[in-house]
Amino acid sequence: MSICTISVSDMHCAACAGKIRQALTTLDDIQATHINPVRRQVLVEHGTSTDPLEILSTIESAGFSPTLAGLDDHDARQRDLLKRLGIAGLAMMQVMMAAIALYAGALDGIEPAYERLLQYTSLLFTIPVVCYSAIPFFTSALSGLQKGGRLSMDVPIALAIAIAFTTSLFATLSGEGEVYYDSVVMFTFLLLGARYIDNRLQHRFELTGHLLAALPKTAWRLDDGTQRSVGIAELMPGDDVWVPEGAQVPVDGTLADSRALLDEAMLTGESDWVDKQQNTEVYAGTLNRGPAFAMRARSTVDQSRIADIAQLAEQAEVRDANITRLTDRIAGIFIPTVLGLATVTFIGWQLIDPSRALIAALTVLVVSCPCALSLATPAALTAAMTRLRQLGVVLTNSQTLERVLDVDRVYIDKTGTLTTDTPGIERTEVLARDLDEQNCLAVAAELQRHSSHPYARAFHALASADRPPLSDVEVVTGQGVRAQLEAEGGRREVRIGSATFAGAGSATTGTEDRDVYLAIEQRPVARFLLSNQIRPDAIASINTLKAQGVAPVMLSGDSENRCAETAAALDIDYLARQTPEAKLAAIRADQANGRNVLMLGDGINDVPVLAGADVSAAVVEASDLVKSKADVLLLSSRLSPLAGLFSLARGTRRITRQNLLWAAAYNLTAIPIAAFGLMPPWLAALGMAASSTLVMLNATRLLSFGNGERMEA
Amino acid sequence: MEILVVLIPVSIVLIAIAAAIFLWAVNNNQFEQLDKHGFDIFEEDSGDES
Repeated sequence: MSICTISVSDMHCAACAGKIRQALTTLDDIQATHINPVRRQVLVEHGTSTDPLEILSTIESAGFSPTLAGLDDHDARQRDLLKRLGIAGLAMMQVMMAAIALYAGALDGIEPAYERLLQYTSLLFTIPVVCYSAIPFFTSALSGLQKGGRLSMDVPIALAIAIAFTTSLFATLSGEGEVYYDSVVMFTFLLLGARYIDNRLQHRFELTGHLLAALPKTAWRLDDGTQRSVGIAELMPGDDVWVPEGAQVPVDGTLADSRALLDEAMLTGESDWVDKQQNTEVYAGTLNRGPAFAMRARSTVDQSRIADIAQLAEQAEVRDANITRLTDRIAGIFIPTVLGLATVTFIGWQLIDPSRALIAALTVLVVSCPCALSLATPAALTAAMTRLRQLGVVLTNSQTLERVLDVDRVYIDKTGTLTTDTPGIERTEVLARDLDEQNCLAVAAELQRHSSHPYARAFHALASADRPPLSDVEVVTGQGVRAQLEAEGGRREVRIGSATFAGAGSATTGTEDRDVYLAIEQRPVARFLLSNQIRPDAIASINTLKAQGVAPVMLSGDSENRCAETAAALDIDYLARQTPEAKLAAIRADQANGRNVLMLGDGINDVPVLAGADVSAAVVEASDLVKSKADVLLLSSRLSPLAGLFSLARGTRRITRQNLLWAAAYNLTAIPIAAFGLMPPWLAALGMAASSTLVMLNATRLLSFGNGERMEA
Repeated sequence: MEILVVLIPVSIVLIAIAAAIFLWAVNNNQFEQLDKHGFDIFEEDSGDES
């Protein structure tokens, strides 16, 4: 089985995608077709008997113009740039050598014959640079002009190269005037170099966010107990799948074996490994950190949770078209200004010193390319969204990142992000002298095994191999468990549960709701103090939020008492016993007071309340991912990704400002210096190249944002 | 300095050869995955790489 990726540049909508899918069904031996209208790509998985060219012609006959994207577009582009860059570099060395001789000749005198020889040599080496290496600048400048006379970023560069080259060409042929071959090759080489580096960095932003690419290509299917290697697209709901140790889960499904240890960081950003029980959900893309296990597929790869996340992220990227438009607007204002300034420089120098006029004007053209200015915002935003996806946050549009900055109150209506279902046992107090802690815990664990009460779950992990023999187990709802313990002295009644149930109501002081008692024959023998159920990361996250001037408020349908306890432990405000109407009213009241509210809720039940907030955030389950209308989707029920979002939004603003400031400062200082003829052309090209690369590098810092905090968590 | 008349054409030929080698190298993926061979030692020597 092999996969071929086909780019269809004129596929614009779902209808086109449907047409292509329809056309491909006529072919035999096609196992699966994945169509991505956003990337305009078709991924076909086909058997060995199908020729990729056959697939191409089929799509072509459906009325489209497909091209085989055997390589990633990016790889092809990088390779193309590298070739142009290499040729420009080789030629530059030769031209510079000749240029040194020519400059020396101009100062000390040179025989005209040698001057001509050197000039023609330079011309020979410059021709491939202009006609091959510099082509991307020319095509980009021209295509902008063709599309309604738009002046693209590359117009000044293309103009500078073209003018310098033609002037030099005429000077060489006529034997009079200056040559600027050195400037031509150097501009081209340095600017191409910058473009090459920027492309690489840009690719890093995209690659880290590219979830589906990280899925394995093949999986082990269990056919009647034997493992067979199949393409992951072949897995169908209901198939049994074998996941070896250290491998990635290929599709969403349920665990068939009794236990599995999974690393879900890729999906949820949660760094702790998850211990899964039989029949719980496992997700495509997560890593098996324990021994191999069997699972049953619930969906195909296309419908898996990770595919949904990728789809959402792509939609957000598509909606970011207005950033591109902003870039065009900047260019639209900036480029004519630059062209005007270059002309003024040229005319000015004609009046003062005509020999320096051309080079000064060229320097202005090259130094003032607004690349850095236009990259400043999109580079930071792309990097930030990629980082957020790693942390387990998906934004459904990138404006959210800016709107989060205004938020000064967060309503947390998802108690699961603050508290856990399973408390831990903080301390065990043995009240009877003839028993030790080990015995008490063993009996308690065995009793609690029969109960599903949240408090009982704290004991579940303790269940040991040699179980105390129990009989007549009876679970008393809301109270505890009682049973008969077979011991040397005969049967004895044991109870575990609340103080009153275990008969310890009056025996001890300072009892709390959270205490669990073990009693034998109505005599309390041990007291277990359960830790509060606050999630370990919740307090840190709350503090992060507070540090950023955001006031977290807990909303809950629970009773006053329970809320007060949790809120006190977290040191936040709370509103108890809230109906949806009351929640919405609270938001409205805050908004009337000029506050900006972020509401964290349950993606499905809280829709009206979420819609009322300035920014809505939802903790979403696999099946509801795409349905959810929230601005921010949290992929795990922890608060730390939300806190991360606030920090990252501020980080992104900081980086964007730095970028814009740097780009503006660079242009404001460089242009006058160049116009006054104080800047050598090589410095202009280097400055321009460095300015845009610096902006990209600065944005890369967001990719590792918050790494320190995550390590501790 | 008549030697320049000989040396400059020689340099042109040499550069042309260098450029040809460079283009060959790029086209044959010599610059892809420059760190790949460092990781080779971690790979199992398995016969089927399908």
